Amino acid sequence: MTRFPARLAAVGLAATCLCSGCEALHPPRWERRENRTPVSGVDSAVPPPDSTREPGVLGTVEADPVDRWKGPGGRQFEVARRSAAPEAGHSRRFGSITLPIALRSRAAGLSQYPCSSCHLGRKLVMANQRITDAHNDIQPVHPEQTGAVCSTCHSAEDVQLLTLKSGERARMDDSYRLCAQCHFTQAETWAGGAHGKRLDGWQGRRVVMACTDCHDPHTPAVTPRIPFRAPQIQRSRGHDR
Amino acid sequence: MSEDPTGMPADAADGSLLHKPVDRRGALSIVLGGVAAGVQAVSACTPLSPATEEEKEVRILAWQEYIKGNYRFMTEAERAETIGRLERLAQVRHGADVTIQSTGAQPGVVFGYAFNISKCKGFRRCVEACINENNLDRNADTQYIRIFEMEDGVIDFDEADATYQHDVPAEGHFYLGTQCFQCADPPCVKVCPVGATWQEPDGITVIDYDWCIGCRYCMAACPYWARRFNWADPEVPAEEVNPNQHYLGNRARKQGCVEKCTFCVHRTRQGRLPACAEACPTGARVFGNLLDPDSEIRWVLAHKRVFRLKEDLKTEPRFWYFSD
Repeated sequence: MTRFPARLAAVGLAATCLCSGCEALHPPRWERRENRTPVSGVDSAVPPPDSTREPGVLGTVEADPVDRWKGPGGRQFEVARRSAAPEAGHSRRFGSITLPIALRSRAAGLSQYPCSSCHLGRKLVMANQRITDAHNDIQPVHPEQTGAVCSTCHSAEDVQLLTLKSGERARMDDSYRLCAQCHFTQAETWAGGAHGKRLDGWQGRRVVMACTDCHDPHTPAVTPRIPFRAPQIQRSRGHDR
Repeated sequence: MSEDPTGMPADAADGSLLHKPVDRRGALSIVLGGVAAGVQAVSACTPLSPATEEEKEVRILAWQEYIKGNYRFMTEAERAETIGRLERLAQVRHGADVTIQSTGAQPGVVFGYAFNISKCKGFRRCVEACINENNLDRNADTQYIRIFEMEDGVIDFDEADATYQHDVPAEGHFYLGTQCFQCADPPCVKVCPVGATWQEPDGITVIDYDWCIGCRYCMAACPYWARRFNWADPEVPAEEVNPNQHYLGNRARKQGCVEKCTFCVHRTRQGRLPACAEACPTGARVFGNLLDPDSEIRWVLAHKRVFRLKEDLKTEPRFWYFSD
């Protein structure tokens, strides 16, 4: 009971200071991010978005040069990294990778980023905290389906990073590395260009959205929505003339 | 002679009429002189006729537009002139400051499109973006894109529903979008009696809206119902007009002309994605250069099982469907 006021204060702080970005209505991920103010100044690893981009499109963040995924077909992804023997097994596993890929920053769109604002010491587990207190927008459908717990994907030592099966850690921006561990066929088509979404243009640097830009990592399935209005055509079945 | 009206259909069918633009322009210039003089005479004699400088200017611009040549055979100077006139007319008539490009095709580029029928969820965000981007007629509710809701396992346009209005994706259904497929061998171009529609070097079939006579042969010829006819002057509120325009793309159309999807020629020729591909929230739309072996569209064609609609017609659409 003695901890309760402190806990309440922590939750209240989180709610008032950090959760202002949590929309009550929960529009889909791809719409949620548009008007976000990117968090800056706290984590120097996340550069501020490029203000020269056109409005409505979040700035892209060049992948950290350290994070390189040595690619399939001897090509190299800007986003990719493979620490040991990069070329060897990978080129077979991921098919032919064509162009360097740049990712849009995931962290800049997270409402409660940086995590260290609450997770002092960046530990995953906070004493006497339930996930529903501060992360009540999370519906852990995917963890329940797969039997995963928080630390399956989030690093227990540094909550701002993701953890891979190999023990490696990945940045929040590099969600594809985490997801590709199981969803390797999707990762291959994503790398090739058949899955996911390219931003900016068909020409020039290939900027793509990463897995968690579209899929809520905790509830990955697309939820039904109301479509844009239907065309006013005479013949509702089949083609109209 | 191709100037002989009785010889026109035969000549025009193979486009030879259009190879004599000088003759036509010469004749039209003479007509213009007479018409301009007549208009001035009439306007001088009509007490109710508007006489402000702006109205006079618009009247002259409109006449000059009326007798201009086919865009395809204009010189650069003539294109600049007509674009100047059109921009001025848009300003006066629609209250919109627009910029009309005449950007040509990039060398070494042929556009291709791929549509993932597994990914499309029928949200119609592409339709919304297309309407806004291409200044489509709000009054007639023109839409270039149709999204068909089909039952799993069957591609049947007779049974498909394009006017669904319920939460999507619906259980047991998939969604297939159509638009102009920019065929490599387009039947619509073949039938145009006046050469108002043609295929550009980057594979986009375009229309000179001012050369189109509105006969709608192209609409009959298109096996994909891709073309739309303007039964009335399109209405777009001034504040909603997209000012980034192309002569062959989304500039103001007029009553009695045919229009269609141009893969957003004003965007794609500058390296950007078509509005539909950019708006798609599911990433079902893949767009790129077919001649670039490193492009995403080529990856899709090389690694996915793709199909096109009505392939037996040999129209060679540059629009492929694929699934995960």
